Amino acid sequence: MVTSPVLAVRDVEKTYTSGTRALRGVSMRVQPGTVHGLIGANGAGKSTLIKILSGWQQASAGTVEWKGEPVDWSQPGQALEAGMAAVHQHTPLVDAMTVVENVFLGRRETKRWDAAARRTELLALCERVGYELNPDELVSELSVGARQMVAILQALARDPDVVLLDEPTAALSPAEREVLFRSVRRLRDAGTTFVYTSHFLDEVMALTDHLTVLRDGLVVVDSPTADVTVESLVTAIVGKRLARLEAAAPAARAVGAPVLRVRGLASPGHFGPVDLTVHEGEVVGLAGLLGSGRTELLEAIYRADPASTGEVRVDDISVRHSPRAAVRAGLALVPEDRARQGFIRDWEIWRNISLPYLSGMSWRRLLPQAVREKQLALKAVDDLGIVAGSADSPVGELSGGNAQKVVFAKWVYGPARVLLLDEPSAGVDVGAKADILQLVRRLADDGRGVLMVSSEFEELLTACDRILVIRRGEIVADLTAADTDLHEVTALASGLKEGLPA
Amino acid sequence: MNSSWRRSLAPRAAGVVYAFIALVAILTITSAVQGRPSYLSSVNLSNILDQSALIAILAIFMTVVLISGNFDLSVASTAALAGTVALKTIDSYGPVVALLAALVTGALVGLVNAVLVQKLGVNAFIVTLGTLTAVRGVVQAILDGQSITATDTTLLDLATARWTLPIAVAIVIGVLLIAGAVVLVRRGSSIVATAGLWFAGLALILLAVFRPLMLTQTAPVWIMLVLAVLTALVLRFTVVGRNLYAVGGNPEAARLSGIAVDRYKMVAFVVNGTVAAMVGVLYAGRFNSVDPTVLTGGELTVIAAAVLGGTSLFGGSGYVAKSVVGTLILFTLSNGFNVLNIGSNYQNVVQGTVLVAAASLYTATSGRERRRFRLALRRGKGDPPASAKPEEKVLVS
Ligand SMILES: Nc1ncnc2c1ncn2[C@@H]1O[C@H](COP(=O)(O)OP(=O)(O)OP(=O)(O)O)[C@@H](O)[C@H]1O
Ligand SMILES: [Mg+2]
Repeated sequence: MVTSPVLAVRDVEKTYTSGTRALRGVSMRVQPGTVHGLIGANGAGKSTLIKILSGWQQASAGTVEWKGEPVDWSQPGQALEAGMAAVHQHTPLVDAMTVVENVFLGRRETKRWDAAARRTELLALCERVGYELNPDELVSELSVGARQMVAILQALARDPDVVLLDEPTAALSPAEREVLFRSVRRLRDAGTTFVYTSHFLDEVMALTDHLTVLRDGLVVVDSPTADVTVESLVTAIVGKRLARLEAAAPAARAVGAPVLRVRGLASPGHFGPVDLTVHEGEVVGLAGLLGSGRTELLEAIYRADPASTGEVRVDDISVRHSPRAAVRAGLALVPEDRARQGFIRDWEIWRNISLPYLSGMSWRRLLPQAVREKQLALKAVDDLGIVAGSADSPVGELSGGNAQKVVFAKWVYGPARVLLLDEPSAGVDVGAKADILQLVRRLADDGRGVLMVSSEFEELLTACDRILVIRRGEIVADLTAADTDLHEVTALASGLKEGLPA
Repeated sequence: MNSSWRRSLAPRAAGVVYAFIALVAILTITSAVQGRPSYLSSVNLSNILDQSALIAILAIFMTVVLISGNFDLSVASTAALAGTVALKTIDSYGPVVALLAALVTGALVGLVNAVLVQKLGVNAFIVTLGTLTAVRGVVQAILDGQSITATDTTLLDLATARWTLPIAVAIVIGVLLIAGAVVLVRRGSSIVATAGLWFAGLALILLAVFRPLMLTQTAPVWIMLVLAVLTALVLRFTVVGRNLYAVGGNPEAARLSGIAVDRYKMVAFVVNGTVAAMVGVLYAGRFNSVDPTVLTGGELTVIAAAVLGGTSLFGGSGYVAKSVVGTLILFTLSNGFNVLNIGSNYQNVVQGTVLVAAASLYTATSGRERRRFRLALRRGKGDPPASAKPEEKVLVS
């Protein structure tokens, strides 16, 4: 290509104060009017590069060029002013503000805050993008997916020349993904440039024009998307690590006795009375769009929703109304919003992992034994491929996907009878995704029950024995995974097809 | 191992100890140069310990409340009320009933705080500001502007008693502490994590051998030491302690991990109230009298001590031993002013300066990354980075 890049980095290196070398000399040229894919395994350095591009962090060495000029942005504000907007992996929004206030945060075209004009502008933007949002809702009330959309709108509202998107779809449902893809394509055709990070390779193949693959802080592939295949990408991403993309199709398995029974569980405003049963050795998928009540349902089963009514039984013993009772009864929840609900940033990996079952790892259930905790952490680091300096690294310093794995590890090694997994593989790379799904399978084969939510219905179809479809807070279908397909599940979840109440 | 040593010896982790050593060194040298009696004499050191013991006890449990992610401004008022209750009842009902009544009073104030904060969800700062004022009001109403004394001197005897730890016992305890540390290291704790135990054990043995005079201290000093060691052990080495840090560090994650978050936070308040009451009784006992203004403003000294010790005001981090050292710094400062005959007018100025300087030091040494995040935040341009949020709240930790 002869056009000059709108954004380029040359030999960028980044060494964090903890000593981690996240980038070791990365060069990348982003052509105007293209979607530039930036992919790589968890901890490869994608987010770090995005942060450097957006002026959030400074490179330890190397240069960043903006429209041909070397720039040295020390603050996100400078990048924004120049015409570059970023959506980071962990959506930084002001919880206490409304949607409209967040979308126009930090804007200074006018001195006065003209609420009516902002609302009109936001509604127009939503209209253009094709997404519905209540401008006056508090951001803290929104689901993870809707928060992500607010962050995306925040970036688009500035009419930037370049948009950096760091795993924008990890928290989105298929419908919202479509909304995003449409906007990205439309804006690209109008001349906007995108840098796009994702672990969904199909997405990357369909959307991007050019690809840069990072591995361990180095560029391993840099070529037009048309010139690569999914297989070559997988190899490039995971490197020597074995990629087990295809999980074995679930064979018909004998399931055991019911282990989780939910009767008449309801939470006003979120989901109606729900009955469901999970058996020993069974992986049950909960398919639903964002806002269908799937996350709320999992939290209510876990007894974390004080407003919910109805009964939850584990091994035929009724579970009292608190997460503590739920843990004691044998429930485990990997929550959707890991950063807020999953871990303690300043704590080491091993202290985070041992938290739920600490007494079990203690001398006389009283004095925690660091040796055992660390052994467990090392096992988890190994099993799940957590990329970290050591098991002593604080979880706050891990890459997004690796922090997810830590939250997952908190529960899977414990004695839980039923695992409630909310998007267990969101944000993890292709290799780790296969590892996690296999681990889930193994847990079920050990005689536990698994209830799993995922926005990726394909994943549910490969990993689950049975799929419950939830729409508007009601379970509308109970399908055997082997007898259904993506089309049917999607149609049921979106309401294109009416199901029989399960 | 190596880096954990370095981390725990860095100013950020051990600053308060360095500051204390430096302060004592300065005072020792200055008084030696001016030809005054040795600053490090057993009498003077015991004196400082005695003066700071009660505030140090409060600081220990303030640290617990702060770790749990709450805040308690009401301790000094609670102590005053408990002291008043004790002196009011002791002559008619005897010392045991008086003590119990005082402790129950303190526990009740703590319970009120706990229920308002945890069950109703009112901000802890506001709730305890309210109880600070209201409880002081009750004291004033009871005392009606008068100071009272008691004829029963049990409390006086207790608060001023000097207890001597026999040398042999001191050595045995010192050896036991070190043995405990060895056991913990065997069980997988690092040497750094057990540093307090090694240090305490060694110090006790050395004192017993070289400074036996220091083994005689007032009852409040011994109570403070025992409580400090117990609390530190519980926080550091037990499941309860670990869970308490988790509750303060990320309440939502702790709750979803099956920890009874409310219970931990409420118990912290109630224990704090009860201990404040005990301190109040000892304080009243020391002079065998209380007046309506007793301990006014004490809560600020207590919080200052905890902050000097590096406790985060936002929960999830803090060390009991460091808060005790923080208290010692504050009292060494004022003691130094007296010893050196510097006007006490400047005392508050210096104490305030030291506090802010310490907090700044903790923040400034907590890594360049964080500082830059905070700068970016303060200038308030663009999106505040997500990970800067938790960072920003680490005022000191
Ligand atoms: N604040 C930090 N302090 C120290 N190390 C960090 C910090 N942030 C990231 N790292 C380290 O830098 C490396 C790259 O992290 P980065 O977040 O860029 O990965 P990523 O490619 O975005 O991964 P993911 O797909 O999981 O989001 C990781 O090893 C991570 O542990
Ligand atoms: Mg990332």
